Amino acid sequence: MGAGKTTAIESLSEIEVVRTEANNSERHIADKATTTVALDYGEIVLDGEDKVRLYGIPGQKRFDFMWAILKKRAKGMILLVNSDAADPIAQMLTFIDEFRELYDRGGVVVGISRADVIDGPTLAEYSEALERTNPDLVIPVFTVDPRDRDQMENVLLALVLNIEMRALFGMATAASL
Amino acid sequence: MTIDVNQVAGEPASVSTGFPVTVGWTHAAMAVYSVLRLNTPVNLKMLIEMHGPLLIDFRHHAFSWSTPLELFPVDAVHTGIETEPTSADAPPYFELPGQDLDGLLWQMGINSFGGGPAYWLPAGERYRLIRWPNLTRHAHDMSQMKMMAVLGNTYVTTAELATLAGVEDADAQRLINALSLMRILSRSAVAEAAPVAKETAAAKRQSLFARLRKRLGR
Amino acid sequence: MSAGLHTKPAVVKAASALLSEMKDATSSLTYAALLTDDGFDVARLPGQTDGARFAGMASSMQALGDAVAHELKIGSCEYIIIASGKGYVVQLRVPGQELVLSALFDNDATVGNALAISRSFAQKMGDLLK
Repeated sequence: MGAGKTTAIESLSEIEVVRTEANNSERHIADKATTTVALDYGEIVLDGEDKVRLYGIPGQKRFDFMWAILKKRAKGMILLVNSDAADPIAQMLTFIDEFRELYDRGGVVVGISRADVIDGPTLAEYSEALERTNPDLVIPVFTVDPRDRDQMENVLLALVLNIEMRALFGMATAASL
Repeated sequence: MTIDVNQVAGEPASVSTGFPVTVGWTHAAMAVYSVLRLNTPVNLKMLIEMHGPLLIDFRHHAFSWSTPLELFPVDAVHTGIETEPTSADAPPYFELPGQDLDGLLWQMGINSFGGGPAYWLPAGERYRLIRWPNLTRHAHDMSQMKMMAVLGNTYVTTAELATLAGVEDADAQRLINALSLMRILSRSAVAEAAPVAKETAAAKRQSLFARLRKRLGR
Repeated sequence: MSAGLHTKPAVVKAASALLSEMKDATSSLTYAALLTDDGFDVARLPGQTDGARFAGMASSMQALGDAVAHELKIGSCEYIIIASGKGYVVQLRVPGQELVLSALFDNDATVGNALAISRSFAQKMGDLLK
């Protein structure tokens, strides 16, 4: 919560983002006025025909039914982690676990927002935690400012590349085991 | 103690040790790699013509330099490198946090060894990525990102990597050198080539990455 | 900032009482819940569903209803109906509050009835909290 999902979709989307927000009653957890309660929807139009559909779904547990819907449909996931939250590493690991099937058939990239918070974990600490708990996964972990269009596009391109390369090599690797 | 370019070595050794006169980043990379391998607490100072001194505090994985990395001087002339042992509880070499050492290692690695393999990389090995570098903070292009995506998913030689990414061998090697210097590259003498279906040129053009990249103007 | 009504004992008590009253007055009511706009469960009748999850879902539905109404430029979303073989879910906002009433009626009720009852109890809840 508070990692910047809605902002990230807005940075990426060519259309005006469809937002579903309500007033936030948990200011003690994330100091912001509103929170996403269904999903944010944005688009990038390719060649004038196909679209890259972007969905921003809430991370709070009470919305986990949304995760189930997206897990089936999504090609990949950008996991935004708020470095300023309580125990962001644990939160990241929980979501990586929760969305493991998306990693298996697609791709995941982690974006750490508000990484300039002095007391937050270092990027190395995030990576080390990932490697320790999931030694067979190689997941890109980048710092990111969700407001920065260039940075978000870079993260999206890395995700797409990972999905394509996994498809190209993943099956082959599994077959040779 | 610094090493004077014109002076013959003969002074008694003191606290710091200098490397022979160096010229460019290649020798600097070798010095840095040696220190990283030793993994003992060391401070390192590089004297570079027309730039302020570059200080590296390995303990804190940080460097300090008045020249910003965006203006990294690829043809820099180094006039001296000196190292100084420190200890786990000694004060930092410069005021922290300094800059993340990875940023410097990336630039050094890309710009050393003239497109050939780093001296510590024997021939005939395959490579795989242990961990992605933080691409938000390192200037890179899409070919490099593509190579990293390959390396993240399979073991490849430099030549195989170059073919898969559609770049010159030298460009693939530069990336391998940088990732190796950053210690995020796994090496294997025995891993086999990954079986890969041949991608037609048309398929490549139609890939989501190709189309998205075009749309985003990259 | 939202009032965090689910954390206020007086509100929870009033909400529970209201739902009981609604149940007593309506034989066709099988389930009902009051929830906050951002998906917290305030009060609910006993039922087969996970109250916390239902509250999340209902708030998502409400927000999506608002989004559709906004997209089609038809004013605000006044109520949402989900019709199924076994009954209707009627959902609407409590006037003047960041609360939603979501109620399930069996087929003994007509949609019109279900709506009228829901509206009247939503209004009552709004009046209680004024």
